Amino acid sequence: MTEEYGHINVASLPGMGRRSFLRLAGFSFAGAVLAGCQQGGVEKAIPHLVQPEESTPGSAVWYSTICAGCQAGCGILAKVRDGRPIKLEGNPGHPLSQGGMCAIGQASLLGLYDSLRLKAPLMKGAPSSWQELDRHVMAELDRIRRGKGAVRFLTGTVTSPATRAVIQRFLGSFADARHVEYDPMSCAAILDAHRLTHGARVLPRYHFAEASVITAFDADFLGNWISPVEFTKGYRAGRTPAGNPARFSFHAHFESRVSLTGSNADQRVCVSPDELQLCLEGMAAIIAERAGRTLGLSVRLPANLDNSVRRLADRLWNARGRGLVVCGVNTVRHQVLVNALNAMLDNYGGTVDIDTPSHQYAGNDAGVEDLLNELRRGSVEALFVSGANPVYDLPEGQALGEWMKKTPFVVSFSGEDDETAACARYVCPTPHFLEAWNDSEPVSGIVALAQPTIRSLRDSRQMIESLSVWSGDNAPALDLIRREWERTIRERHATSQTMDAFWNRTLADGYAVVRSASAPHHACDYDAVATVVTERGPTSVSIPPATGGVTASPGGPPPGFAGGRYTLLLHPSLTILDGRHGHNPWLHELPDPVTKIVWDNAASLSRKTAEALGVRHGDLIRIEANQKFLELPVHIQPGQHDAVVVVTLGYGRKGTDRFRDIGPEWLQSRPTVGSGETVGKNAALFGLIEAGCRTNRIDAARLIPTGGTHVLVTTQEYHSLREPNLFGGETGHRRPIVQETTLAAFANDPSAGSFHKEELDSLWPDDHKYAGHHWGMTIDLTACTGCSACVMACQAENNIPVVGKDEVRRNRELAWIRVDRYYDEARGEFSVSHQPMMCQHCGNAPCETVCPVLATVHSAEGLNQQIYNRCVGTRYCANNCPYKMRRFNWFEYRHGDEMQRMVLNPDVTVRERGVMEKCSFCIQRIQGAKIRAKREGRPLNDGDAQPACAQSCPARAIIFGDVNDPSSEISKTLSSPRHYRVLEELGVRPSVGYLTLVRNREEQAGEADHA
Amino acid sequence: MGWLNSKILTVILGIAVLLTFSVFVTSFTFNIKLPGNHQGYEPVQPVQYSHRLHAGELGIPCLHCHTAAERGGSAGIPAAAVCMNCHTIVTAPWVNVRAEDERASKEKRQPRRIISPELAKVYAAMGLNADFKPDSPKPTTSIEWVRVHSLPAYVRFNHSAHVSAGVECQTCHGAVETMERVRQVSDLSMGWCVNCHREANRSGINGRKVAASTDCIVCHH
Repeated sequence: MTEEYGHINVASLPGMGRRSFLRLAGFSFAGAVLAGCQQGGVEKAIPHLVQPEESTPGSAVWYSTICAGCQAGCGILAKVRDGRPIKLEGNPGHPLSQGGMCAIGQASLLGLYDSLRLKAPLMKGAPSSWQELDRHVMAELDRIRRGKGAVRFLTGTVTSPATRAVIQRFLGSFADARHVEYDPMSCAAILDAHRLTHGARVLPRYHFAEASVITAFDADFLGNWISPVEFTKGYRAGRTPAGNPARFSFHAHFESRVSLTGSNADQRVCVSPDELQLCLEGMAAIIAERAGRTLGLSVRLPANLDNSVRRLADRLWNARGRGLVVCGVNTVRHQVLVNALNAMLDNYGGTVDIDTPSHQYAGNDAGVEDLLNELRRGSVEALFVSGANPVYDLPEGQALGEWMKKTPFVVSFSGEDDETAACARYVCPTPHFLEAWNDSEPVSGIVALAQPTIRSLRDSRQMIESLSVWSGDNAPALDLIRREWERTIRERHATSQTMDAFWNRTLADGYAVVRSASAPHHACDYDAVATVVTERGPTSVSIPPATGGVTASPGGPPPGFAGGRYTLLLHPSLTILDGRHGHNPWLHELPDPVTKIVWDNAASLSRKTAEALGVRHGDLIRIEANQKFLELPVHIQPGQHDAVVVVTLGYGRKGTDRFRDIGPEWLQSRPTVGSGETVGKNAALFGLIEAGCRTNRIDAARLIPTGGTHVLVTTQEYHSLREPNLFGGETGHRRPIVQETTLAAFANDPSAGSFHKEELDSLWPDDHKYAGHHWGMTIDLTACTGCSACVMACQAENNIPVVGKDEVRRNRELAWIRVDRYYDEARGEFSVSHQPMMCQHCGNAPCETVCPVLATVHSAEGLNQQIYNRCVGTRYCANNCPYKMRRFNWFEYRHGDEMQRMVLNPDVTVRERGVMEKCSFCIQRIQGAKIRAKREGRPLNDGDAQPACAQSCPARAIIFGDVNDPSSEISKTLSSPRHYRVLEELGVRPSVGYLTLVRNREEQAGEADHA
Repeated sequence: MGWLNSKILTVILGIAVLLTFSVFVTSFTFNIKLPGNHQGYEPVQPVQYSHRLHAGELGIPCLHCHTAAERGGSAGIPAAAVCMNCHTIVTAPWVNVRAEDERASKEKRQPRRIISPELAKVYAAMGLNADFKPDSPKPTTSIEWVRVHSLPAYVRFNHSAHVSAGVECQTCHGAVETMERVRQVSDLSMGWCVNCHREANRSGINGRKVAASTDCIVCHH
């Protein structure tokens, strides 16, 4: 029909009235129906002419490589199906990530199929060819060499030994050349502080697993600080209440905002940024007294915090050598104190390792400051920018863009036409990390190789290849890396293997452990600490009033702060980091693990501050600080300090209005982002480089409500399992959705906190036999950090479409697993719980009984099956699901453009409009494991079948297996006294259970109000 | 729309329901194919490859060429390179080759190489020269076979699971070794699949006990 009429404009046909058109259309429709009875369209099957040796059609091949979602350098396995990478998973053997993988890393796969990636090199903004570009660049470089002009090479942290060597060699041919590294999520102060205290500019490797007392000052180490997957693994290993040996670290967290890490802390101390500094100094002074050191500090603690800091100092002192102090504040003054603390507590050599330091962050903010000054003066002849987007993410980005345009010769190596590339004269498209060879040494002594998993989809060239061409070497990236490995890495490996064998082994494993090359350093120099403390201030911080709180005064800013102003805190997003994933729709739709905001950044205010300013959720507020301003919607964040306004970085990327129509189009649809606007706003402009370090704290910020509003969408409120006040009420019973206890109570009674409500009488006969397998899942709430890696794993594995902001607002997002976040403010103390929630695969499933067409039925292995081709979309099942875990396809979702559809998993049906869907326990993976076992003629072993969520979990919080197998891991958790099931009183017999949330607290937990 | 009152509408709807019902009843009674059933489909292929000759007369096992059936979900159509394992030596039916040999010995000359027109298509697709070596200036073209056995998009079928359970290829594909051109023998309907699974659970495969699931989600996910 469409073929016949598609191109005819009916109204323009002479003599073709509405009736005759309908008659003709009806006739044609009948024809189409008859035609449908004949043989369907001819389907072609086109095999390879020569089948690649390692690929089997319809089967996946896995390649080990390195994740480049951030600099942490986790080892990953890329699943390549018929030549297309379709899923990334953690490499179980890798010493850092140990099989875990965060949400950002998993989502970075989608960037490979981004249709906006550069298609060809650009010269002065116009598409060009590599030959042309090389000719121009080489001529310019000759001119610069002869004129001895200043050459600057700006990159993010380079963890690749080969890349570093190639850059050094390239810059060696110029008279005045410098390589400047910087990180938008800067850790420069930690390195600078170590230069002062230990004589080497190194970033320590932190061993959270060894720590029994962890004290963090605004370091979001489970969120996005340095190496979150590695740290989550370690943190989890140090907290096993039922493990062998049983151990449980104590984690105290000082912060003004509510970070993911803070939400997991045993003791979360909400302080203003000034108070945080006082606490750190106070603690250093207390410990110094005990250790008999002088740091030039006196104990000046706010009265309300005095007790907790002293008690914590006691704990740290008693756990000398097994404690750990970390700080995410990027000022040298803070960091030297942290170094002094860790040194006085004997933590160096134990939990803080500078003998095998981390290379994950090597940025130097002072170097960037110098470079900016040079560019401002116009004294730089040539600027190369690679793996960084300074025009977007530096505070002076806009000005930098102007200076770059005035700089005679600017080359940008970039995969996309980003803010920086737009200001560069020459833009060299670089491949996605899944298309490229690479190497890395994220931590001294752990080297890894990355290999291409697909031929480059664009006419791109790796940066090191470009440099090699311009130095007349013309070597491909593989050769450059192999040469470097032969030269420097091979000799550090304790083996007599040939280079070929070593290389192939490393390539297959993805990593190798070699001798670490550490910088010479000395023991902590306390005089240097004292110098910094006295030089960089006696602190100007005054002790705030004992209450630390604010009295509300409507209409005006609350009193108690200097000039009635606030402190603006910026922090990188937990989903799109510093903006480098700002074009990734998966990450935009992943709810922020704490705020649950999607598709936006907001100004987070405490409830009191918001009341004082007279603003509500979604009201627009103007933030003025540092002679700059930004309008952002208000998000009210419980647990946040009243004196701060918190804004997420990474938003407001150029070109994000591309997501305008990412959702389905229908009568009432609203765009995800307005035309010409961006997703969120860029708050990086507020940042400062102070005393050689980039700070994300800006004092004296003014907040002015504008009177406007913005649709700010969060996912938590509508799916929460809170009992409506109508039934539960203030006095009525509470649903114990998250059951929690304290370590003290747990030590007395392992079943503390988990209580089982009596199951109501059942009408159901026990007719499910489960003769073979019986799949079940247990989620350890003590292990779960709420990081949402599972949500992204599910998205990639199960072809979950992106629905856009407006559909999320209408409660129609399609995620099969969500992480519920509950706040508990019942006893004046603020604590947070995270609970992954997916289809519970009930034994007596309420959804099954109401389906009129038997589209959802019980399987012989305990799965609650959803059969798309039977479903007619009555949605009765979703209405009858007590866990709110069924999702309806209101529309035919687009799954991105043709390019992005290459990421779809061919083993999972792409659901059509009008059908229900939900978690299947990754049945395709269960089936795959069963078939593999059958093919190999062995029984299915425990752990063979792992759903995507369980596989990716960096904390190993999700345990999946066969309940019928008494030796399986899942069976052991079932007999744990901590085991409970959510809403078990309903008698639906869920297959998913939870282990109680144990917090390392002393006081008895009352019945918590999870709201 | 005055004529379209409720009474007439009811009658029309009644007739429509009856018609639909009778279509189903007659189709089941007289074994008439319903839409989507492609049983007996026997399309002409771009290369007239004979399974009767290869699998029947020469007795080459199915898995010799369809190797993926053992290892993966899809049986796959062999790559043209697989044909070249034999067909760089065998270039034409032996009768034609012998005829040429006899002709050559009668005419007292070297026999010429006989290339069957069907194989010539494969050589051309691969861009091979007279020595069966890849000839780079010659363009390669894919061989676009016409798919015979096709399942709807919402069905997952895994060949290796069935092969390793001991199911003969012929159980589903019929006696391909007797077919000059491949024909869809079974109707590949869900009922047909499930009946076989039930039968296998009852009496096993080749006397071996098997667990053939009849859960919906095993195929529909």
